Amino acid sequence: MSELPDEKMKHLDEMTLLLYVERQMDRARGLEVSAHTQECDACRTLLRALERESRLLTRAMLEEDEPLPSRLAQFQERARKSMQWIWGLVFGLAATGVYALYTGYILPWQTQLEQAGFGGSNLLGLLIFQGAMWKGWQSMITLLEVLAMVTLAGLGAMFFRRRIRRGSALALVFAGLCTLLALPTGASATEFRKGDVVTVSSEETIKGDMYVTGARRVRIEGTVDGDLIVFCESLDISGHVTGDVINFSQGARISGRVDGNVRGANNNLTITGTVSKNVLTFEETMTIDPAGKIGGSLTNFAANLGMEGSVGRDALLFAAHANLDGKIGGEVRVKGDSLSIGSAAVIGGPVHFEGHSKPEVSSSAKMASPVEFKQMEKKESYREGSYYIWQVIWGAAFILFGLVLFALMPKFAKDTVAAAEHIGVTAGLGVLVLFGVPIAAVIACITVVGLFIGLSTLFVWYGSLYFAQIIVGAVIGQWLMGRTSELWPLIGRMAVGLAIVRLCTTIPHVGGWVKFAAILWGIGAISLSIYRRFEPVIAPSAPGAPYTPPMPPNTTVGGAVPA
Amino acid sequence: MNAPGITEPTEAITRAKAGDAEAWGQLYHDYAPAIFRFCRRALPQREDAEDATMEIFMKLKGKLVQYDATRSFSAWLYKVAANHCWDMLRRRKIRQDKETDDLENVPLEHPDPSQLDQLIEQRTSEEVRKALEKLGGRARMALVMRYYSDMSYDEIADALGVRRAFVGVVLLRARHELRQALEGNAALAAGGAS
Repeated sequence: MSELPDEKMKHLDEMTLLLYVERQMDRARGLEVSAHTQECDACRTLLRALERESRLLTRAMLEEDEPLPSRLAQFQERARKSMQWIWGLVFGLAATGVYALYTGYILPWQTQLEQAGFGGSNLLGLLIFQGAMWKGWQSMITLLEVLAMVTLAGLGAMFFRRRIRRGSALALVFAGLCTLLALPTGASATEFRKGDVVTVSSEETIKGDMYVTGARRVRIEGTVDGDLIVFCESLDISGHVTGDVINFSQGARISGRVDGNVRGANNNLTITGTVSKNVLTFEETMTIDPAGKIGGSLTNFAANLGMEGSVGRDALLFAAHANLDGKIGGEVRVKGDSLSIGSAAVIGGPVHFEGHSKPEVSSSAKMASPVEFKQMEKKESYREGSYYIWQVIWGAAFILFGLVLFALMPKFAKDTVAAAEHIGVTAGLGVLVLFGVPIAAVIACITVVGLFIGLSTLFVWYGSLYFAQIIVGAVIGQWLMGRTSELWPLIGRMAVGLAIVRLCTTIPHVGGWVKFAAILWGIGAISLSIYRRFEPVIAPSAPGAPYTPPMPPNTTVGGAVPA
Repeated sequence: MNAPGITEPTEAITRAKAGDAEAWGQLYHDYAPAIFRFCRRALPQREDAEDATMEIFMKLKGKLVQYDATRSFSAWLYKVAANHCWDMLRRRKIRQDKETDDLENVPLEHPDPSQLDQLIEQRTSEEVRKALEKLGGRARMALVMRYYSDMSYDEIADALGVRRAFVGVVLLRARHELRQALEGNAALAAGGAS
C-alpha cells in the first residue's frame, strides 16, 4: 500500500482499493484496508465508487441488448461448408466475368488499339486514351463495366479483408492495379525539356522519348527517335518523330514526318506533312492540307474539319461542319451538322452521315457508294421504353456499387452519411470540390510529377460523383425508415433511398437538376467526411495538471483528496 | 462461473462428447447466445463477433473430448472464446500501439471519489457499451473477461499473456480508458485530482 501524508490521514491508492474490491488481497491486507476505509471518508467513497463501477460494468456486459443473429440460431457446420461453396461459386462467376470482360471488351480493344497504332497493351493507355478518345463509342467501356470491375475489385478486397488487415487488403488491390498499369512500361531514356521556346534543331537527334511542358513554343526541326509528348502553346513539327506524338497545345502544325500516331487536343491542328499511322484528336479547327497524308485512320472531334489530303484507312468524324475534298481509303462515318464532299474527293469505302441537313456532294467526287444519310432527330429519350429499362439496370448497378463501398468502408460510409445531414455546409463544400478539384487536377497535369496525381485525382473525383448519389440515397433512406448505426440496415436504407433518387432523376426536365443537386450534396458530404478524418485532432490529454507542491521522498500515492 | 442463467448441462456434455448430435445442438442452443454476447463485447465489429461465435463452436466441437468434466464447462468455454477473440484481435493487429506500454508503470493516482461517483451515477449500461467500443483491444478484452465471464485473474493473465501481478493494472487502466471514453474527462481517467 502506498500512502500519502495528509493533514489528518493517509489515503489508499486506487490500485489497492480495486484489488480489495476484486477480492485479490490476502486476508491480513484486506483487514487493513477495511479498517482504513471505515475511518477515512474519501477512501470509503472511492471504494464505493469502484464497487458501483464494477456493478455498472457487469450490468452493461450482461444485458441482452441484441438477440442472437438468425444465422447463428443453429449450429451451422454444414451451412458453413455450403457458404464456402457459395464463395467458390461467387468467385467462379467473378472469374468468368473477368474473362468475359477481357475477351469481350479488353482484348478486341487491344487489337483495335494495336491496329490503330496505340501499341497498347498498356492498361493506362487503354483507360486514358481509349476511354476518352477512341472511335469505338459503340463498344466503348461504359460505366457499367467500370462498376463491374470495381465491384470485382471490391469483392476481392472483402475476401482478403477476412484474412488480413483492411489497409493491407486495399493496398494489395491497388498495388495489383498499379502493377498492371506499370508492367508494360518499357524502360527508355526520356528527355525532359522546359522553357519558353524549346527547339530541336535540324542537326539534333533526341534518342528516346521527349517530354516538353510549360513551353510557349516548341519546334521540332531535327529528329526525335521516340515519342514526343508536348504541353505547350504552339507546336511545329517540321522534322521527324519516329514514335507517337501526344500533344496538348493551342496550335499545332505537322509539316514534317511522324512515323507513329498523333493524338491530342488543340485549338487548331494543321497537317501538311505525313503521319504514318493514325490521328485521333480534338480540335476547334482541323485542317489536312492537300500535301497532308495520314497512313492509318482518322478519328476527329472538331467544330470545323477541312480534309484535302489523304487518309489511308477509315475516317470517323464528329464534326459540326466537315468538308471532305481529299482521298480516304476506307469507310467514312460522320456525325454533325453538315457535310460537304468536294469534287476532288476520292472515297474508297461507304460513307455514313448522320446530321441535321443533307450532305452536299459534288458530282465530280469519286465514291464507292452514295452517301447513306440519316436525319438526326431530337427526340426525347424518356419516351422510349428502353430508357426505363436502362434506368433500372443503372439503379441496380448503383446499389451494387454502393453495397460494395459500404461493406468495404463501413465507418467512412457511416461518417459520410452523418456528415450529409449538415446540408448547408455540404452544399457549399460540394460546389467548391465539384468545380475546384478538376481544375486543380488539370493544372497538376501540366507538370511531370503532377500528371499521375492529377489523373488519379480526376479518376477519384469522377468516381465520387457516383458515390455522392449513393450517400444521398442513404440519407433519404434514413429519413424514411429511421436512423441506424448498423451496417446492413444502413445498406438497406441506402438501396431504398437510392431507388428514390434515381427515380427522381428520370423526371423529365427536372431530373437533371435533381441529379446535379444530389451530386453537389453528396460530394460535399464526402469532402466533409474526408476533412474530418484527416483533421488534426488535439488529443484529449490530461488537463493542465493543477500545481501540486513537491511531495516528500518515497511518496508513491497521487495527490491527497481534498478534505 | 456459468453462462448467465444456465446450470451446467453435465449430461448433455457427456452425450455430446460421445458424438450425440442432438446433445451438441442442445449445448449450442444453450451457450451460443452467451458466447455471441461475449464476442460482441470483445470484438469491434458485429460481423466479426458472428464469425467468431461460429468458429469458437467449431473449435469446441473438435476439442470437446479434451474437456475435463471435473471443471466448470462455462469456464472452459469462455477460456476458449477469450483465446479465440484475443487471437483474432492480435492477428488483425486491432490492438493499439499504446498497449505496448510498459505494464509495470502502475497508475497510482487517486481520482476524485465524488467525481467518479457522479460519473458512474449518470451513465447507463448502453453508454458503457458504446464507450467499450472505443477502448483498445486489451482493455476491452480484460474488462469483458472479468465482468462478463467472471474469469479469475489467473485465467485473464493466461489469456492475455501477462503476468498475474499485472492483471490488476490492466483492469485499472481499462477502467481509466473507459471513464475517459464515457466522459472525455481526463481528470478522472488519469486520476488527476488532488
